[in-house]
Amino acid sequence: MLRRAVPGFFCGSLAGLLLGDGLSSLSLGAAIGAVLGTLYGLALPRPLGGPGAVADRALTAATLGLPLWGAVNVILLPLLSGRAPQWSAEGMRALFPALAGWLLFGFSLGLLVTGVVRVVEYFLGVAAALPNEKLPAVKTRVVILGGGFAGVTTALELEKQLRDDPTVSLTLVSETNALLFTPMLAEVAASSLEPTHISTPLRSSLPRTRVVRAKVSAVDLDARQVHTPDRAETIPYDHLVLALGAVSKLPPGAGIAEHALEFKTLADAIRIRNRVIDAFDRADAEEDGQRRRALLTFVVAGGGFSGAELAGGLNDFTRGMLADYPNLSADELRIMLVHSRAGILPELSESLGKYALERMQARGVTFVLNARVAAARDGVVVITKKGKEQEKEEEIAAETLVWTAGVAPSPVMQELALPRDKRGAVTVENTLAVAGQPGLWALGDCAVVPDAKTGKPCPPTAQFALRQARTVARNICASIAGEPLRPFHFDSLGTLCVVGHHTACAEIKGLKFSGFFAWLLWRGIYLSKLPGLERKVRVLVDWVIELFFPRDIVQTIDFEPQREEAKS
Amino acid sequence: MKRSTAFLLAMGAIVGSLGAAVLVWLGLASPLGSATAVVAGGVLGALFAWLTKARANTPGAGLLWALAFALVLWLASSLGAKTTTEMLAAARLHFPQLVGYLLVFGAPLGLVLGLVSRREKGAAPFSLSRALVAGGLAGIVGGWAFGQWMEKAHFFPLIAGLVGSSSPGLGKTLHFVFALIIGATFGLLFQRDVRGYGSSAGWGLAYGIFWWFLGPLTLLPLLQHHLPDWSLAHGRELFGSLMGHIIYGLLVGVIYAALDRLWVGFFIESDPINRHPHGPGSRTLRSLGWGALAGLIGGLVFWPQIVAVDGLHWIARLAGGESSTLGVVVHLFISVVLGAGYGFLFERESPDAGAAVGWGMLYGISWWFVGTLTLFPTWLGASFTWTNEAAAGALSSLLGHLLYGAITATVYLLLERRHQDWLRLDPRFAAHEARLERPVGTPAPALWFFALGLGVILPILLS
Repeated sequence: MLRRAVPGFFCGSLAGLLLGDGLSSLSLGAAIGAVLGTLYGLALPRPLGGPGAVADRALTAATLGLPLWGAVNVILLPLLSGRAPQWSAEGMRALFPALAGWLLFGFSLGLLVTGVVRVVEYFLGVAAALPNEKLPAVKTRVVILGGGFAGVTTALELEKQLRDDPTVSLTLVSETNALLFTPMLAEVAASSLEPTHISTPLRSSLPRTRVVRAKVSAVDLDARQVHTPDRAETIPYDHLVLALGAVSKLPPGAGIAEHALEFKTLADAIRIRNRVIDAFDRADAEEDGQRRRALLTFVVAGGGFSGAELAGGLNDFTRGMLADYPNLSADELRIMLVHSRAGILPELSESLGKYALERMQARGVTFVLNARVAAARDGVVVITKKGKEQEKEEEIAAETLVWTAGVAPSPVMQELALPRDKRGAVTVENTLAVAGQPGLWALGDCAVVPDAKTGKPCPPTAQFALRQARTVARNICASIAGEPLRPFHFDSLGTLCVVGHHTACAEIKGLKFSGFFAWLLWRGIYLSKLPGLERKVRVLVDWVIELFFPRDIVQTIDFEPQREEAKS
Repeated sequence: MKRSTAFLLAMGAIVGSLGAAVLVWLGLASPLGSATAVVAGGVLGALFAWLTKARANTPGAGLLWALAFALVLWLASSLGAKTTTEMLAAARLHFPQLVGYLLVFGAPLGLVLGLVSRREKGAAPFSLSRALVAGGLAGIVGGWAFGQWMEKAHFFPLIAGLVGSSSPGLGKTLHFVFALIIGATFGLLFQRDVRGYGSSAGWGLAYGIFWWFLGPLTLLPLLQHHLPDWSLAHGRELFGSLMGHIIYGLLVGVIYAALDRLWVGFFIESDPINRHPHGPGSRTLRSLGWGALAGLIGGLVFWPQIVAVDGLHWIARLAGGESSTLGVVVHLFISVVLGAGYGFLFERESPDAGAAVGWGMLYGISWWFVGTLTLFPTWLGASFTWTNEAAAGALSSLLGHLLYGAITATVYLLLERRHQDWLRLDPRFAAHEARLERPVGTPAPALWFFALGLGVILPILLS
């Protein structure tokens, strides 16, 4: 330090003489110069650099003389002497010598201090470069299981809160390499949006997190390790976040699991879109009217958000496709929604559910209410309708069945020796910590989270998962720091559901909206929620393109080999 | 292959001596004797060559370093007067020396050393076509803006006089030819150093000032077969032209950077092999946000100065009112918008606080020229008046603009650092971040000193 400070002090004192005129005192100039010179010397980097660095520092320091002149001579000194700052033209002209003095002082300081330190180091040896700051070892390993809203938001929040703390490592284990924005999934199935546009790559979204693409096979709660079947390594943890979400729950037997398409992942949406296009192409070549009608009947099981949005989207898509298939008539096309209750969209108020049903009916969707899909076989979907006294079974000739009628927590949860509810979701405290398991947290669709105010379990929606993720991230940081945990509470903002072209229902903080305005709300709100600017732009472009061009009917999955394989 | 230090020192000594000899011949080397002046020129030339041997490695870089050192030399020669009045008078009296030091001593020294130096391995590649096309187009647009004042000041017939005519149309044509040539030379000289829009505008500002000394003060009279008049009085007469050159330079810099970035983006960075992990979209949006916040803080610091000079009513008039409250709102709104502009223009330009203050003050002074002296009068319905009197009246806000720029840039740097720090945990991101930053060794320090020094000194001396 002395090799920098001493030359800085002396060179600063010398250069400070140039400030004498402006400060009306040579000794004051030398004193200010000495202080600034010492600080400047201490701030010099190690290593010092060649002669070019001398030139850099001389002119940089000279430039910095300008604000110093403004601060000291134009403002500070006049104020100290009870006068107004001298920033008028006359005042600044009067202070021109001080300006020249500060500029030359800066230049001399940079030149002299850097030059003299170089000479000193030549004779006394170069000051040791500051040791490369070695990052401290990782002390806490946070592992997040699940790449859905809950898991990714937890990782993002932890990245924000832990920032450059190298003692905490973050790992996210996900079966997919992207976060799927599920509210727009129906638009992918309906060929309105490109599939990848609603998925955000995890690796580019989470720069501070190690992303492990793997399926979780088991969690050893005692050894505090996560096992994955695809990798030899086990992933140790100090804090484990269970955010594995839910999977479609298809009833076993009755052929539904074999014949129904699921609607949960991006691959599911792509498969549905291709199945629709495939069915149209096959119907176009089919001469048998009944068979053609079966090909053009698409049954959606479940009248919740997913089912209603999918049925509405498919209705728009398929009726638009008819223009390209002159052999097929609108009468032969059926989008059929089967729902177990008397009204659809139980998440919304009754009036909005009724509005949605009427609008969808008007646009061509067929509803089978108070009914459920009981079985499926090739070309046939069997439904049971609730009668006054007994259930009535009915067969619908349909080649396509999509199942949206139920989900269950990830099967991994069933393997854990943890308290669960009847669905199989892990029950947690209102801090999202699993009771009796230090460092274990759960949230989202795979957990039962009691609200801190009401004590009631939170609904398994993305809206709640996002807020739970923020709380869990905060609580993990608090736990690491030994601070008290914060309980989770969130009042739902509302719900939005789009059921067709320019038609949506919205219930926001008790206010009900429907029709075009609600549709605008849906698009605006979900576009803003879509992660990443790039994705927003891509989706917006897709929507604009749709204004001018028809939806794409290019088939990207060929079902013919699969059919041949099934027959053999 | 790099040139040896001895060769560069010899070149510096020779060009420095020749420059000093010409200054002696022009009578601008007093109070030194002829021989002493030539020897001193040689020594200073060699010293400059030694100091900048790793810096002045292109003609553009050499030119800027040399202009900055010439300004230091002139300032040093102006010191020594006993009283304040004497010194200001001495500085004004020595105005011809300033022109001489810059054009006869500094510019040739820097250009020659930049030409004979060999650039180091790994230096940015140079594209002649990009420099000429982008620079030429930028020059034409900048020339159009400058032409507005020239038309008002009846300057075109004067230009037409170069070819023995007084036709304004011919003068205008010649003006655009010059604008195109200067723009193209901007690309040729500074392509390697220009990175973002803001730094490019800074280079343009400095180049515009340089061309004021070289063009109307020197070449124009020479082409008209007169001896150049480097007196302060003549400089005062040409204050409007100085403003025009500054605005022209700023426009050339910004447009050159825009075209250059377009070129680089379209032909180079769009290649997936060269693509950054994050597109420029999200990066820019983040910079705009940080800049807006920094601008708000800068505006709050600038606020008391505006109150002190009773400027709030004047600012309120921009929104059609008179009240102080409206003035505050408009001032803060402008501060935020300009702050966002700083974020957009100067993204990743500052590796440290010193650099941030340099760029920030350059940004602040640019807005003093563009905003206070040009756009504000136009917005208020009057025509812009690039006169000494207008500059003298606006000097009271010059310091505020400098402080606003310095504060905005410092706050922006802190926000940028805050984001970068945690990215540095991962070596891949650390390397990527390092590639985006302005490297050490560009003539940025010379640019700050030259452009800011003269940007403040010239209005004080000429107004």
